[in-house]
Amino acid sequence: MNDTFYQEFEVFSKRTPNAAFSHQFSLLAPNKEMALIMAQENFMRREPVVDIWVVKRSDIRGLTPDEKQMLQRLDNKEYRTTKGYGYLKKKWRHYEQQMLDEKEIMSWSGEGEK
Amino acid sequence: MQPYTPLFEREALTEEQKLERFIARIENGDKIEADDWMPEEYRLTLIKLISMHGISEIMGALPEKEWVPKAPSLRRKLGIMAKVQDEMGHGQLLLRVVEDLLTPYGKTRGDLMQDLFSGDLKFHNVFHMPTKSWADAGLIGWLVDGAAIITQTNMLGASYGPYARALQRICAEEVFHAQHGESIIMALAEGTPDQKAMIQESLDRWWESLLMFFGPASKETTGTSKQDITIKYKIRTKTNEELRQSFFTKYIPRVLSLGLTIPDPTLRFDEEQQLWIYAQPDWDEFKKIIRGEGPRSKERLALRRTSYENNAWVREALAETMA
Repeated sequence: MNDTFYQEFEVFSKRTPNAAFSHQFSLLAPNKEMALIMAQENFMRREPVVDIWVVKRSDIRGLTPDEKQMLQRLDNKEYRTTKGYGYLKKKWRHYEQQMLDEKEIMSWSGEGEK
Repeated sequence: MQPYTPLFEREALTEEQKLERFIARIENGDKIEADDWMPEEYRLTLIKLISMHGISEIMGALPEKEWVPKAPSLRRKLGIMAKVQDEMGHGQLLLRVVEDLLTPYGKTRGDLMQDLFSGDLKFHNVFHMPTKSWADAGLIGWLVDGAAIITQTNMLGASYGPYARALQRICAEEVFHAQHGESIIMALAEGTPDQKAMIQESLDRWWESLLMFFGPASKETTGTSKQDITIKYKIRTKTNEELRQSFFTKYIPRVLSLGLTIPDPTLRFDEEQQLWIYAQPDWDEFKKIIRGEGPRSKERLALRRTSYENNAWVREALAETMA
């Protein structure tokens, strides 16, 4: 008995409506519908889940091991991040003001707003 | 992280240089992925380890499923059914990891099943043993899964990414299995004298299998051992004996606290060496068991073969739906 008729599917799911899809694992199935059923059986027996994607692995264009090497970043991106502006905290203290940092700003969603 | 090397330079890498880079990646704590270059010894070691692990999960469901119809209450029945289903799920995850490693050899899951039936692919010694009482169902969850948690958490940081990620999922569920087992044992331990005797009888029978579970301390005992290679490639960190010792340290006090006796009068903790001293199990018996000559080896393999053959029509019907 030969199992080669199965194809690899990659499974993605999200736990809450606000969450991003995340990769769970892969599985073997003959078609998308079976892949969805298997995904629930294999990976979603307990934890809450609000949505599932299955994608045929052959449809995914990933990076080759060589291409992954090009993802390495030079360590000079501070101007793009808040890290490069951390000195402002001390400055604002001088003007007797609190700095509106990321933690503070991200807390302004309705409930958390002061 | 390695410095970036231009494509044209990398294509010219000799096998030796590739190996050097591979070892450097592992030393750096980098994760190796399925499509990365890897030495054949690494690939073959992983295939052997993970196919044995995966098929053991599937064979391990067989002794436990015998207790689903005999569970003493509905809650216990639901609990053990969930555990059996998890074990099959773990088998699915692990076989998936092996299949990707087998790609260069053109082998599939069907071939692994045939290897199991022919005896080329071995499964864990504990799953060749009979289960005789409800206490066995509890003891398997508590101590066999406890032993499995010790060996599997030791590989959570494995250099092979797909295996490490599968183990992450598996270990999280094993925690439930262990507590499911503890719950059964606790109920019996706090029960009637007959129930207490049932756990002791179960422990007496399983003790040797539990010692064997971690494998021999060195290859001199049984002729072969992959532990040195798996440590070299950072698939795991501890030796068989270190794992067995940490099992003793974690579980012996718990076993004794329930008023149970370890069936080994020579067992003691040596303060000077900081080691547990214990009577060796019969390693010749171990070799016999994993060779497929254990008390239940033939029946369990026959059951697996029957179910594989009986379900062939499902696979064939699904083949028609391939899209």
